[in-house]
Amino acid sequence: MDLGLVVYALNLASIYALMAVGISILWSSVGIINMAHGATFAIAGYAAWMTTGALQPVIAGAFGSGGMANVVMAMALCGSAVVAGALCGVVIYLLAFLPIHDKPNFPVRALIITLGLNIAAVQGLLWIFGPRSQGLPKIFGFGRWEVLGTRIRYDQAGTIIGAVIVMGLTLAWLRYSRRGLEIRAMMQNSEGAAYSGISRQITALPVLMLTGALAGMAAALLSQTIFVSPTAGVIPLVKGLTIALLGGLGSVAGAVIGAILVGFLEAIVGAIPFLGQRYVLFATFMFIIAVLIVRPRGIGGLLDDTRE
Amino acid sequence: MTVKSYYKVGRRPWEWRLKPDGRSERRRTRPPGTRRHWLKWRDVHNPKSLRRERVLVDKMPLWWTLGLVSVALVTPFLPNSLISVVSIFCIYASINVLWTLIVGTAGIFSLATLAVVGAAGYVAAAANVYLGVPWPFMLLIGPATGFVFGAILAAPSTRLDGLYYALLTIGVAEICRVFVLQLRALTPTSGAITQVDSFIPEAWFLQRPGLLLGFAGAFLLLLGALLLWRLVNSERLGMLLRVARSSREDEAFAEAIGIDFRRARLTVFVISSAALGVVGAFYAMYYRSISPQIFSLDQLLLLFAMMVIGGLGRAEGAVVGAAIVTIIDKGLVTLGPPRIILIAAIMIGVTIFAREGLTGARAQFRDYRKRKSGERRASRTEKGGEAMPEEATEVHDKQELYYRRFNKRLRERLKTLITPELIEEHRRDPLGHHSDDLARVLNFFRRGEMADKYVIHRMQPAEERFRVMAVSGVRGMPPRVVDDREYTDIKEAYHAVFLLRVNDLLES
Repeated sequence: MDLGLVVYALNLASIYALMAVGISILWSSVGIINMAHGATFAIAGYAAWMTTGALQPVIAGAFGSGGMANVVMAMALCGSAVVAGALCGVVIYLLAFLPIHDKPNFPVRALIITLGLNIAAVQGLLWIFGPRSQGLPKIFGFGRWEVLGTRIRYDQAGTIIGAVIVMGLTLAWLRYSRRGLEIRAMMQNSEGAAYSGISRQITALPVLMLTGALAGMAAALLSQTIFVSPTAGVIPLVKGLTIALLGGLGSVAGAVIGAILVGFLEAIVGAIPFLGQRYVLFATFMFIIAVLIVRPRGIGGLLDDTRE
Repeated sequence: MTVKSYYKVGRRPWEWRLKPDGRSERRRTRPPGTRRHWLKWRDVHNPKSLRRERVLVDKMPLWWTLGLVSVALVTPFLPNSLISVVSIFCIYASINVLWTLIVGTAGIFSLATLAVVGAAGYVAAAANVYLGVPWPFMLLIGPATGFVFGAILAAPSTRLDGLYYALLTIGVAEICRVFVLQLRALTPTSGAITQVDSFIPEAWFLQRPGLLLGFAGAFLLLLGALLLWRLVNSERLGMLLRVARSSREDEAFAEAIGIDFRRARLTVFVISSAALGVVGAFYAMYYRSISPQIFSLDQLLLLFAMMVIGGLGRAEGAVVGAAIVTIIDKGLVTLGPPRIILIAAIMIGVTIFAREGLTGARAQFRDYRKRKSGERRASRTEKGGEAMPEEATEVHDKQELYYRRFNKRLRERLKTLITPELIEEHRRDPLGHHSDDLARVLNFFRRGEMADKYVIHRMQPAEERFRVMAVSGVRGMPPRVVDDREYTDIKEAYHAVFLLRVNDLLES
């Protein structure tokens, strides 16, 4: 296996991990399967597109076109995508969590409401912006590095590094902050957390904002490789959901491992000549279904078993 | 002279009831081949008129008949575009009814319904176009494919539960879409199979007779789906699953009493998958083509929205939801994307406010009203002799409740009248002309219940010796002696009884 394939696999894995970890955290702590994750992804992409479009002349005026302008542009892009994602999280909190979190049948109803939000958001974007794809400015620039005889594109490297940094920050926040402690308590046992004085209503808001921000970050990073369009969220949503499922739906480590596995699987299947790109999705789903039939609780269940 | 007007009172004054002859035997016929009755007639007694009456307890069949007959009667007079809208409604409604069978009856949260429909449609269409199978056989190939596909899909449902399985099935639908899109043979038509033979003759296609024929087929399809739903639910399979579901918390219990609910679930799943296969073949014939659009997430979500708006797990919900969504989606095409946003908004609103969709709103409202009236009653009633709300619902004779309340209030008032002066007045002259207060108290005592009422016993042989007894209140049971004090003066005895009763009143 050559290095280019590894980089490509890691590139895919980092995007998938950002989506799957968000879905996983949300499910285990709040109990919502967030079908609006794809809509969050698309909205964040459009927000970044609009912000950078508006700021382009300003930044060009202030910093010229050197490296500094590129850095500022990257910050504007990622910042706007993250903020838009977090705002989407607030909307989901207000519609899909707050009115029904203590009503019967909450998980299914939350799933339905987020589905409705997803449909509405995608159609709204179609209505406002039209079906045409939009390209975002390339914050990592065009070009390649020569490493060990293989060429690595800047955007691939940037995506991998960015995703690793964001994931690291998220996990560190979950690990070391007070709020993170509360969220982890809710992930372990939400009733127990409620008994020890952790309010589900108050904690759910930062969780939703965090996962929204992760989806926004994924959108910002993926926009370096593909274009932004109203339906851009569907594939990341479906993949994120199935990878979260593969990871055991609720285990962060499982989701990350699942994402890496699926990333490599896709890269390898894509590289095999007689299969090729057209069977990538097929192979991925087959793999996930096979794993789930053997281990219904996914990789997370496997991790729990080894820990015990 | 004023005309008196009477108001019908009670909960259902307009309910239509059969009044069968009191002497006739009760005859109930069953459709051949089934062991259940299809209409829920119940014999009741009218407590007012004391007559025998026959009520249709479950009136849903009535509404179904009315609705379906009106659809069948109105549609032939509609313009062409609306006829196709109604036909699409019928197709969607039948898919939804079968889906309801999976989600509601079997309790498997599958989202691969359209995948089954599409797969069966594709196989049937391919058999017709590439193998030259005549169209009537498509209606056999479809369910066979659905059966096989359903059996494959059903396998993981025993291991994965609930939402996990739902997510997995979304993946399956996506696989189907991608798979069809990747087929090299279909690349020129971007994945669609066209030129499918149909029960609608080619010359009539998209003409009025063809549309009417298509509507007739779709309507029959809907009737068939409803019939299947009814059959599965009212026969043994549905009963087993209902029992297993009512003990959902403890499925082990259902297994322990001998219900193999997993097997029953899978059976229902496979049956409805085969039926979905029929719908798939019909779909391909109705449009004379089939495209990968049927596997798309949007289409799936549209159908899911129908079920959710109507009420997940109810046949009437599936049909009502299909009607609402189809009218908005196909009837208001000129609106563009906002119509889908409207559907999504309805879906969100219904889910937030209604527990079980629009068709469950009535039951939810009744529960709410019942709860509120219970709360009001609890805040209204006080303790002490009066019936508590929990008890009040048990007491059949409601007059009893009001009597108790009246009695309690009376006692409260009389307690305030008892003073040492009053007792002294009675001691002086038990039988004389009393003051107003004492007369009221004595009147209350006289009206007391027979059980434990105090009486004076003149002891044998006839002489001036008295003692106080309490009657049992039951015929044939002798009175009991209250205490062994004897009184030589009848007035003293009267006063002793009075004091006992005052004591009882103050203690109550």
